[in-house]
Amino acid sequence: MVRKILFFSIAVCISLAGATYRWTDSAHSIGIIKASGGMARHPSILESGSSLYTLIATATVIPPYRGDARITLEGGPEMDYTIHSSDPVIDLGIRRHPRLKENVLYDLRPKDRIALWVVMKPPAHDLAFTKACCDGIKQEPAKYSGRENTGGRYTLAFYDTKTNRAVLSVPLIFTGRGETDNACEHHH
Amino acid sequence: MRANTITKKSFLAGNRYWIMLVAALLFLPPFSFLFQFTGDSSFCGSWCPRMFFVWRKGMTGYEYLFGFLRSYLGVILVLGMLGSTFFFGRYWCSHLCPIGGIMEGGSRMLSKGMKIDYSGIPAPAFRYGYLAVYLIASATGIGSLCCSYCNFATIPRILGAAFSPADMLYFFRAAGLINLGLVIFLGFIARGGRAYCNLLCPVGAIDAITNRLGMRFGKRISIDSEKCNACAACVKVCPTWSIEVKGNKAMIDQFSCMPCRECEKVCAKEAIRYGGPAC
Repeated sequence: MVRKILFFSIAVCISLAGATYRWTDSAHSIGIIKASGGMARHPSILESGSSLYTLIATATVIPPYRGDARITLEGGPEMDYTIHSSDPVIDLGIRRHPRLKENVLYDLRPKDRIALWVVMKPPAHDLAFTKACCDGIKQEPAKYSGRENTGGRYTLAFYDTKTNRAVLSVPLIFTGRGETDNACEHHH
Repeated sequence: MRANTITKKSFLAGNRYWIMLVAALLFLPPFSFLFQFTGDSSFCGSWCPRMFFVWRKGMTGYEYLFGFLRSYLGVILVLGMLGSTFFFGRYWCSHLCPIGGIMEGGSRMLSKGMKIDYSGIPAPAFRYGYLAVYLIASATGIGSLCCSYCNFATIPRILGAAFSPADMLYFFRAAGLINLGLVIFLGFIARGGRAYCNLLCPVGAIDAITNRLGMRFGKRISIDSEKCNACAACVKVCPTWSIEVKGNKAMIDQFSCMPCRECEKVCAKEAIRYGGPAC
């Protein structure tokens, strides 16, 4: 019995550690695509300082919207990003589904569900800081204004290709070491 | 290796690996037949069997029920699984679950010397410690184990990674690497290949409770103590380490047993049988 209690307690401790710790190089957003402008359920939070971030963006198309949507990652400074769609490896053609090509989702129809993997690479200077660089920012903050790195807000935006209206916006917030209150860490 | 005549007569006992293979083809890449019928790409979404029953802090009753609707195929899957388990034992886990099947199949392909033996861990105690946190952490808002550590998300992506960049990207994250480590160490290189199922699968944990509750009504694996000579051949082949020899007789823990019937196959005394009810 003592052994069982011991292992039960170990399981609780390990599981609690796993449940409370949050991995900050990836996030999952759940949203809706609407003609009048859909939103993600909540902003996706990532922590600055990684060399690679992943956003898993899932969304459902709300009737009556149908069309093609161009996807862009907005915010500064510009980040390299690639978008991949979770399509069947071998498509048996049993059911139609939207196609992703060159960051455009084609043939979105009501009730379609999409699952995209967005991989973001912050600018190289986000990772390499020097003492001189930090001092420079502190002395002349105005000079570096507008050159914030990933310690800021981005939006993964979906625009209808015909009307150019946003049909889904997924806010992305980079926090932690890159927050704006710590210039030496992540402002450049 | 079959040591008795009982097993030869049973389709489910004799063809388990073929059934597991068919289940893998139905659910997993590269074909994912069932998901293609419903417009999904994986277990995530309407097929998710793990998340709908978890209450999250701040949820309204409507939101909780909406979770059932959103994962309606996962709900059907789990209810079907629990119903069949109550009457026939854990055939979902032993024969049909593509996640456990791939881990067990992968483990069987490795040599014994490469495997880790976790059978010293009292599986039910560990499993229900994990399940308690799985349910309570979300309800109290202190965290979540639902998606961060998911066997139903990891295994399909291991198989899909060779073909799809989206599946490959799953492992380019800290959480993906941790999940990969878990299925490797608790699945592929675990003796029996079922340590993950036995310790960390919340669906399996609920299924195991149902198995125990239904043992007086349904069919289960049982051991005829008159015939048993305590040779422990069954103990060695049990993937869920649910058999132990006590007082010169082998005993089955219905909290962990699934009717894979590996024990039945190796029992030279024909002391193990699948039937019911097991009391």
